[in-house]
Amino acid sequence: MDTQSYMPVPPGVGLEENFFSLDDILLSHQRLPCRTENAFPRLGFLEKSSETPDILEGTKMEMPLWLAKGLYERKRRVLSVDLPKMYREGWRTVFGADPNVVDLHKMGPYFYGLGSQLLHFDSPENPEIAQAILQTYIGRFRRTMDSSQNAYNEDTSALVERLDFLERTLFREGQSGLNSFQQWERGKAGHLTASSLVTNYRKRKINELQE
Amino acid sequence: MFCEKAVELIRELHRMGDGQLPAFSEDSIRQVLEEMKALYEQNQSDVNEAKCEGKSELIPTIKFRHCCLLRNQRCVAAYLYDRLLRIRALRWEYGSVLPANIRFHMCAEELEWFNQYKKSLATFMRSLGGDEGLDITQDMKPPKSLYIEVRCLKDHGEFEIDDGTVILLKKNSQHFLPRWKCEQLIRQGVLEHVIS
Amino acid sequence: MSDAGSDFSGEDGSQEDIMTPAELIAKLEETWLNERFSPELLENKSEMVECVMEQLMHMEENLQRVKKGDVKASIHRMEIDRIRFVLSSYLRSRLQKVEKFFPHVLEKEKSRSEGDPSFLSPEEFAFAKEYMANTETYLKAVALKHMPPNLQQVDMLKAVPEPCLDCFVFLRVKERQENILVEPETDDQREYVVDLDEGSQHLMRYRTIAPLVSSGAVQLI
Repeated sequence: MDTQSYMPVPPGVGLEENFFSLDDILLSHQRLPCRTENAFPRLGFLEKSSETPDILEGTKMEMPLWLAKGLYERKRRVLSVDLPKMYREGWRTVFGADPNVVDLHKMGPYFYGLGSQLLHFDSPENPEIAQAILQTYIGRFRRTMDSSQNAYNEDTSALVERLDFLERTLFREGQSGLNSFQQWERGKAGHLTASSLVTNYRKRKINELQE
Repeated sequence: MFCEKAVELIRELHRMGDGQLPAFSEDSIRQVLEEMKALYEQNQSDVNEAKCEGKSELIPTIKFRHCCLLRNQRCVAAYLYDRLLRIRALRWEYGSVLPANIRFHMCAEELEWFNQYKKSLATFMRSLGGDEGLDITQDMKPPKSLYIEVRCLKDHGEFEIDDGTVILLKKNSQHFLPRWKCEQLIRQGVLEHVIS
Repeated sequence: MSDAGSDFSGEDGSQEDIMTPAELIAKLEETWLNERFSPELLENKSEMVECVMEQLMHMEENLQRVKKGDVKASIHRMEIDRIRFVLSSYLRSRLQKVEKFFPHVLEKEKSRSEGDPSFLSPEEFAFAKEYMANTETYLKAVALKHMPPNLQQVDMLKAVPEPCLDCFVFLRVKERQENILVEPETDDQREYVVDLDEGSQHLMRYRTIAPLVSSGAVQLI
């Protein structure tokens, strides 16, 4: 709508990341289990357990997605990336049985985003991962949508608690649509209000004064 | 790990999802720039060693550091860019004069960006024709009625309406005013739209 | 399809000259809705904007002549407010897109061949150039110039996302269309063709029907 003036750069779609998107930067900060396929001399200090000056070949360590993506090469193996447990077969079966029971916030919170990003690394299980995240999304979509369309004027924290980041965005969209519709129905669409930026700044100022 | 400070910057903005502008983190930025300088210098010397002494085993390390440099660059650029989007929003919500407590959160270059943005926007609006152009920061919602009932939330002083009448906006006073004249004052929280 | 006499949506200026005020306002509303609902910046309609501005001034003048307290006056005032809202909202959505996509908008303008209509009005073009320069100066001054020499540039074309043309839009068909090719949604679907009947409404991928929006054959709703 016209009324919200701060419009952040949205996250990229699918395999894409948007350079300026804060969400994508936080997503790519998620850690992946990796194994070094050659040594990284002089970087041993990054690995807490190691006492050598180098990161040795065959070291198992967690790396943020951005680094794994930057180092990964198809031709020359510098690094291999393992699947985090929620994308492995065991968990995929659980998701397949009933996607609604899992707490994707705890597992994520970027469950879909990270899953899509994993497709950058040539795992033989890629097709299954892609299917699993798609089916999980579809399987949970209805509930997410229904709850966002039916919770009016109530505390929604319990409803969004177990939702992944993408689902939360969807939920919020649904809520804002519902609220605008209710406002319109009650003939209040023309009601002029103070900008939320202004009111929030004022709240902050009051808090600062009270401290 | 490298780049922790840089992602801190991003988290700090991300926590304020509604678009508020936190104080400019000059110190964190300086620390990220220092880390970048160190990474770059280490890479320079390792590149020389790899070239001159044929130490090709250093290449993965050089690449590792380069990834970190790119990451730091991205985080800082994204931090600054997102702040611009917030500062832009302030122009639309507050008008062209910002309250001091917000200006206080901006660095000198941000104030300059804001002033330039303000100017560009004003030039654009003036060029739209008519005597004074068209102020497109008004009329944010479709009009339902010509006049609206408003309550004054703080002392604002004198205020002129269309026909030249001047009224005094005193705290807690209530008025019946042309809607399009009040819109901005309502957004700024000076007036409150009263609906019966 | 439609007889020439009633077709005022024509692209050339000579036809636009004979638009009545009511037709002008209807045109403004169509253009406004299309711009609000399309993910990308549409072709500029500077001429229409100019006409509407003139119309508004004209109405204001007329209003001065009407006696105060006359019921007619408040109806006219209301009408002026309504038109000004639509026009502002239209220009606002355009400016928002210019800000959101500035490197791409400017690139498109650069690669436009002579004689092709411009997507930006001259004023929007000036605004976009200033916005780009202002933003680049800022990034450079605060941080980039303090970075190592190979990292002092950010490619704005890559950094600022492009409009997402794959989003879905609602539309109403104004002129019947045949054989519109619809891309498959999933790997096991195939592409297929649809006919769009006049007056029918659809939810479709924007990319598929973008040319029909600019030709005026469909209206986004």
